[in-house]
Amino acid sequence: MTRPGPFLRTSYLESNEVLPRPYHKVLVIIIVLMLLLPPMLMSNFYVHLLNTVLLAVIAVVGLNLLTGYCGQISLGHAAFLAIGAFTTVILTRMEVPFVVVIPAAGMVGAALGLAVGLPSLRFRGIYLAISTLAMHYAVVYVVTTYQSSIGSSASGGVYLTDPSFFGYELSDDRAWYYFLLVAAALTVIFVINLSRSRVGRAWMAIRDRDIAAAALGINVLHFKLLAFVTSSTLASIAGSLAAYYQNVVTSEAYTLELAVAYLAMIIVGGIGSVLGAIFGAIFITLLPYGVDFLFEFAPNSWRFGGRTFGVQQGMIGVFIILFLLFEPKGLVEMWRRIETYFERWPFRYRPLEQTRR
Amino acid sequence: MGPIVTVMILASTYALLAAGIVIVYKASRVINFAHGEIAVVGGYLFYSIGMFAPGSLWLAIGGTMVFAIVTGVAIYLVLMRRLIGEPFYVAILVTVGIAILFKAAIIIVWRAERVTINVADQIVAILPGGAKFSTVDLATIMAAVLFYIGLFAFFRFTQLGLQFRGMAENPLLASQRRVSVNAIMALAWSIAVFAACLSGVLYGGRALLSPGSVAIGLSGLTAALVGGLDSLRGAALGAIVVALAEYSTIRLIDPVLSEAVPFILLLTVMNVRPWGLFGTREELDRV
Amino acid sequence: MSIMYFKRMTTALAVTAVVLGAAVTPANAAEDYTIGYITDLSGPLAGSYTPTWEGFELYMKMVNDRGGINGHKVDLKLDDDGLKVDRAVTLAKKQASRDNVIGIFGLSLSSTQGPVLAEMRNIGVPVVTTFSGILDSLPPAKPYSYSTGVVFEVAGEVIGELIPEIVKSGKVVAVTIDTVGGRAAIAHNKLVVEPKGYSWGEVIFPVRTADFVPHAQAIIAQNPDVVVGHYGSSQNLGVISALRKEGYTGPYVIAVYGVTEDTVKLAADKSGSGENLYTVNRYVSATAADNAAVQEVAAAAKKYGTSKEFSTMHVTGWVLGKFAEEALKICGWPCDREKLNSVIETLKVDVGELTGGPIEMSKDDHYGPSYWQLSKWDHANSNLVPIGGWLRKDKLEYSMQ
Repeated sequence: MTRPGPFLRTSYLESNEVLPRPYHKVLVIIIVLMLLLPPMLMSNFYVHLLNTVLLAVIAVVGLNLLTGYCGQISLGHAAFLAIGAFTTVILTRMEVPFVVVIPAAGMVGAALGLAVGLPSLRFRGIYLAISTLAMHYAVVYVVTTYQSSIGSSASGGVYLTDPSFFGYELSDDRAWYYFLLVAAALTVIFVINLSRSRVGRAWMAIRDRDIAAAALGINVLHFKLLAFVTSSTLASIAGSLAAYYQNVVTSEAYTLELAVAYLAMIIVGGIGSVLGAIFGAIFITLLPYGVDFLFEFAPNSWRFGGRTFGVQQGMIGVFIILFLLFEPKGLVEMWRRIETYFERWPFRYRPLEQTRR
Repeated sequence: MGPIVTVMILASTYALLAAGIVIVYKASRVINFAHGEIAVVGGYLFYSIGMFAPGSLWLAIGGTMVFAIVTGVAIYLVLMRRLIGEPFYVAILVTVGIAILFKAAIIIVWRAERVTINVADQIVAILPGGAKFSTVDLATIMAAVLFYIGLFAFFRFTQLGLQFRGMAENPLLASQRRVSVNAIMALAWSIAVFAACLSGVLYGGRALLSPGSVAIGLSGLTAALVGGLDSLRGAALGAIVVALAEYSTIRLIDPVLSEAVPFILLLTVMNVRPWGLFGTREELDRV
Repeated sequence: MSIMYFKRMTTALAVTAVVLGAAVTPANAAEDYTIGYITDLSGPLAGSYTPTWEGFELYMKMVNDRGGINGHKVDLKLDDDGLKVDRAVTLAKKQASRDNVIGIFGLSLSSTQGPVLAEMRNIGVPVVTTFSGILDSLPPAKPYSYSTGVVFEVAGEVIGELIPEIVKSGKVVAVTIDTVGGRAAIAHNKLVVEPKGYSWGEVIFPVRTADFVPHAQAIIAQNPDVVVGHYGSSQNLGVISALRKEGYTGPYVIAVYGVTEDTVKLAADKSGSGENLYTVNRYVSATAADNAAVQEVAAAAKKYGTSKEFSTMHVTGWVLGKFAEEALKICGWPCDREKLNSVIETLKVDVGELTGGPIEMSKDDHYGPSYWQLSKWDHANSNLVPIGGWLRKDKLEYSMQ
């Protein structure tokens, strides 16, 4: 170890590094390689689970921008997903190709985000959350009416055919996995860059004390709206991709519980951190299946009467409360503690040359 | 049943829920998102006690009351007290977590069955048009009225009520004048949970209880917001407004829209007069 | 023991848990027929689908106790989808790829069906549903999708055809919840009823309604001569009590979507009288004391125990069980998905007096002719008394697609 310590930075470039420690870079490479493996090794079911996680990641990093970096509590995330999905429905019925639909869904989401963001200029805190809640119900009502009006097959949702991406048809789970992996990676890189830029810093200033931020010359109006628009765009794109992936869209899926689940991802993962959002997405998405898996060891009679489902639901509530009470900084804090534990290993670093006696 | 009577009954249910939300908000500036769930659990509990010991109404009432007080105190002592000083959204998210837990409890303990409470179904009067006005309906209205009168009397005439109001205005100052902040907050939560359970039980007597009934909590929340989150008088008025809006939508416009009505109302109120009809204006900027 | 120590221990445990969390698959007994069952056991429709599953399980328990099919026992994989589409699809994929089931049964009358059927069609797993809200099993039938139960549109038409047994003329008001299935059922109901000379009215309310009094008032305001409810147990319970409370004493038809007898009883109790309540069902009521086939199911229920009171939904599950047994018997051993699918495609199963006639599948029609019966609730004896015989329904009269 030639580094004199984890906190000594000797240039601006160094202090701005995304992956400051050497092992970070190695870890990232290993993770990237590992991420390429699943479709070759695992059965369809696990690949499907991973796809669900990736879709959640795309949506949740958007919410993290809004809630974690900019501090605006939004209960409307399910509505943005719904808008993305239903825009996809409308456009595919007009035979618009996949590569056009995705950005279009993003734009529609952006427009809705603008509409939802406008109240944020008047309200703060809980009233903002309430107005996003109201918006959620309004959007769900609109899409439900639309779904009934197009007379989709009885009790089913609307069906979509598999998209073709530059001539390649995405129908298989494995193909989707690579596609979603790339999409999620691009989104995460985008979000990380955004958070390190001027925009991100403005958001964090607004989160901490928006009056002070305004006094510093930050255009609070502009940045709050930007936060809403960005998060809603990402959520709409995620919703649109999810619609294509599942090949079916039903308005019943977009409940308040879904919005709460996304908030739970942010809370459990760690507010204000992209890595935290990813951890949270993985945790909350896989939690029901983890509970299922545990229940497999119990006799069949335990399963119904709703116990499995009740326990799964309850677990989300339990984890929200536990994390808020005991670990408000989320899973990512646990990860940082592990990191710090190893970093603070005694005698790990040499003193600087100049200070050597 | 004459539209007026139906609206009054509906408003009574919402008023009880709204009262609970307002009390908790007044005491601790926390919006309780778990109110609907608590109400429904109270109803289910009443049903279970009734099933367990049929015929003894008082046992059921007593049991539910004990549950309400214990739960209210427990929620405060175990959860809310630790969150003093954290940003506002933490407490709210914890209530969301509680809501999820209670709903899961309904599914696990009562197997998500739909139940109805078959008590006090005797007919009190037959209204014009052939509809029946039963004891439960009467009880709903009377419960709401009596509860509000009780609360007003409590706040105005008792020492404890005075302490409560003082603490609602300025907790720090009140605590320095020997007002036990913890006790008052615990009391506030107990009253709120009790109101919710009362509402849930009466609702179960009239209509069905199922895991989906927790939606009444959101209507109650809307009623509280419309009236002003820190005003009891506003809660009562808000409840009437919401009930009237829902009923007229069902009868005059389109029943399917009635689900969205509380939220349309909410959006309107937020845009026109965000702090509600009777709320204090500064609430808006304080958060 | 400081808080720091506590936090470090938790972190360490969390890490260990994650590391050890490699999926251990409970071993599949290689000598059994593995079939999957996915349905709603805890969501809004659990009251209907839990007894259906129990009926199926009862039959399979009986079969296993007798030594199995072709000498091999049946291994049932049960999963609860809570009526959520994404969960249902994920669970279906799990059963197909991890548990290696050769067929999936059950599902529920909801939007979970479409995607599951589509996915299983892609993979090639035959799916037999007890209740079907989509037309995949009706001609021209899509491969791998079958149904032995109720299809919304068919039920809507059947009820329309049975209404003349209740009232000869007048106004029919149909009520449903705001779902595509409910609306489809009403639409077909209307198409059958209007040519017969009835006038028509309808009331549609939100899915999550819990207070039915205003809606009951809206129904009564239309002056119905008969009211038909196209929805499940909880709505029937609510609407019946609200209607009776508001003064409507006329006939009410409980349509067939998974309503159990105890719900009818509860509704009758709550509304103060059991008069004028009718049901339409594809399978015999559990209260038919003189029906030997039903008694067989009841005996099994008593022997193995059920968590829900014995009802016509148990009978529905039982029928599905019998259907599955026949299919596996003919398939032989070893049986795989393709073979099972081709067997089911031409299967004919006689379930005796549980319904009006045998269940017949054919290449183009994965539903077959169905038999329906109108019954009236007899409150004094707490049972359903059939009116008239079995109505045979061969195909859908009207097509809305």
